[in-house]
Amino acid sequence: MKKFLALLLTAVMALSVCLTASAESLAGTYDITVWVAENAVSLTEKQIKDFNESNTDGIVFNATIEAVSESEAATQMITDVEAGGDIFCFAQDQFARLVQANALAKLGTKAAEAVIAANDAGTVAAATSGDTLYAYPLTADNGYFMYYDKSVIPEEDVDSLEKLIADCEANQKYFAFEQQTSAWYLASFFFATGCKSDWKTDDEGNFISVNDTFDSPAGLIAVKGMKKLVDSPFHLSSGSVNEFNSGAAVVVSGTWDYTAAKEILGDNLGATDLPSFEVDGKEYHLGSFNGCKLLGVKPQVDAVKAAVLHRLAQYLTGEKAQMERFEALAWGPSNVVDQASEAVQANPGLAALIAQAPYSVPQGQIHGSWWDIAKVIAEDVKNAKDEAGLQQALDNYYDKIASLFKLDTSALLFVGAWNGWNNADDTDTYYLKDGSVTLEVPQSDYMGGRIVTPGSWDSDKGFLQVTTGKELIQDLGDDVGDNNIVFLAPGNYTVTWDGAAITIAAN
Amino acid sequence: MSEATAKRHMGLRASRAVSNTFIHVLLIVISIIWLIPFVCIVLQSFRVENTGPVGYIIPHQWGTDNYTRLFQTDFPRWYTNTFIAALVTAVLQTVIVLCMSYTLSRFRFKMRQPLMRFMLILGMFPGMLTMIILYRVLKDLGLTQANAVPGLILVYVASSGMGYYVSKGFFDTIPMSLDEAARVDGATRAKILYKIILPLSKPIVIYTVLTAFMGPWGDYVFARYIAFGTSAGKNVAVGLYDWLNKDQISNSYTMFCAGGVLVALPVTILFLFLQKYYVEGVTGGAVKG
Repeated sequence: MKKFLALLLTAVMALSVCLTASAESLAGTYDITVWVAENAVSLTEKQIKDFNESNTDGIVFNATIEAVSESEAATQMITDVEAGGDIFCFAQDQFARLVQANALAKLGTKAAEAVIAANDAGTVAAATSGDTLYAYPLTADNGYFMYYDKSVIPEEDVDSLEKLIADCEANQKYFAFEQQTSAWYLASFFFATGCKSDWKTDDEGNFISVNDTFDSPAGLIAVKGMKKLVDSPFHLSSGSVNEFNSGAAVVVSGTWDYTAAKEILGDNLGATDLPSFEVDGKEYHLGSFNGCKLLGVKPQVDAVKAAVLHRLAQYLTGEKAQMERFEALAWGPSNVVDQASEAVQANPGLAALIAQAPYSVPQGQIHGSWWDIAKVIAEDVKNAKDEAGLQQALDNYYDKIASLFKLDTSALLFVGAWNGWNNADDTDTYYLKDGSVTLEVPQSDYMGGRIVTPGSWDSDKGFLQVTTGKELIQDLGDDVGDNNIVFLAPGNYTVTWDGAAITIAAN
Repeated sequence: MSEATAKRHMGLRASRAVSNTFIHVLLIVISIIWLIPFVCIVLQSFRVENTGPVGYIIPHQWGTDNYTRLFQTDFPRWYTNTFIAALVTAVLQTVIVLCMSYTLSRFRFKMRQPLMRFMLILGMFPGMLTMIILYRVLKDLGLTQANAVPGLILVYVASSGMGYYVSKGFFDTIPMSLDEAARVDGATRAKILYKIILPLSKPIVIYTVLTAFMGPWGDYVFARYIAFGTSAGKNVAVGLYDWLNKDQISNSYTMFCAGGVLVALPVTILFLFLQKYYVEGVTGGAVKG
């Protein structure tokens, strides 16, 4: 009897092992917490229910959905990652902080490939640090464009900033466009003239370099345009369509305000791309940031739970879920198939965003301090009395950006005016900390520039620290103006700095 | 009465009238300035034509939609959380503070003076410094997020013994001879507190209850930290503030105002009824008899 029992038990055990091995090992019920924006709570509930019913692997989520604002998610998450949501949505500007705090789990190779194929390239870049994808694009609508009151602004004036300002002043109406209060909006003028502020992060989310050209002749044109707006007594630094209630005729805002704007203005509401401004007889179309919302998965101790969470994340950011979100909340999809759909194309807010798209710059990774540093430009521009004052505003900005990296003495300051300081159409400055940049050195009379370690502006450390590639450059010492090296031939060069030595290689 | 005196009399009356008018006008202006924010919040809470912030004060359309909507959100839950925390804290803190004050006022024991001094010094450290440690401790006890209310009560009540100054000062003004007489008649120390000291110090008891209630009622910093990421554990201050986020404000601003009115209501009523005692309490402790 005993023997029989033993045999039976063994059989049962073997059977159960077989069963669990043959069935999908992900099956089970999982208790998870999901953080989404308040207005998306009920939709997310429904979508998770759909996932539970539709997946064939027996995965069941018992989800607690909490309303946590997307603009607050990082702050909340960093409070205590362990107790934070397993899946959470956030605006892309918080991405680097979340990666640094280890609050985001990397995507697997397969998942990453699928995400890259299905989504808008700009949104994928926003979810990437170094070469690693850390989050799932959720929307691609975090950009701004112009709402206006058709009863005040004639249709033919919407393309010109000067005409818009004149119309507002003539009608005693406000032109609401955040400048003094937000770098996100203020960058619009700089993008119009082709300035850029490109930041690079490594795989751990640390900022390693920036290529910022706001302080340049193009930047000066941008601030001249900005001055026209901020000097107007009818300029209002606000980004809320509720200003239409308090006497505004133009408000620069985004799709999230469409319903509210429609409610206030009704048929008088116009939505279109941003206008152009004119400096020295040349037109510059205002640019914009093109941002997105992302969905992240928190790193898990339990590998199985991590796997199922990624499955859910893929579902929640997939083509179907994004379309549902568009239909229910009018969130612009990042999925390329959804973007091309007729319904999305016909939405007036999104249509304006799409019209603005050619002038927009994907919002990549930007250093958290940049927002506060850049914001000051508008106030400085408003206070500037002449062109020297405008230049001073840019110089102040430049110094602060430089100091972000100068604080770190292991960084390398790389100032290149590779075709000469004085006709610098193409002045590039790189602050390199542990990484590399590619320099384009065009054929010109003078291919010089300056490499210094921060805080040692006067010394010749730059050249001395070049270990490989000395033959490509010539050491000028401190003798020749502001340059300490000169490239011997035009071309593309990769400059690498590892904290101690500089390597220069021709590409 | 001679003509001259009458004239002087008139002059005096006139000048008093002028100065009175001036003072009244000034006071009216000051009270208008002081009242505007409150009036605004009340008016905005009845605005129904638009739910975001607007540039005018008087609503174009009146209604109670905001209040109805308020009760479809998690607001009742937050309100209950806050109310429970405030009520329990008010009771516990009052008991602790009164016992503490009575002990320090009436008992003479070794280390009494050093203990008082020690608490004075301890009280000088801002409580916020302990926030992160407290969070860890509460988390290990399982009293954060959804269970934030008991955790918060623990935090609020824990240090209340140190707030004995005002009531001790008041107890000191009650003559010791009363205690002695009661002792002679056979009353215990506890009986003296209940039967003699407390009835004589009604204002200070009410003052203690009110301050103990107000602390948790308006707390934001601790509540935000301990209830993070969960709606169920929020108190009203945290919950309402979250409605002012960029992505929420145009939908929730008037609801925020309605919430603000409801938060102010119990406190206002409480103060209206207990105002008399409150003023006595605040000034009572300052006089040493």
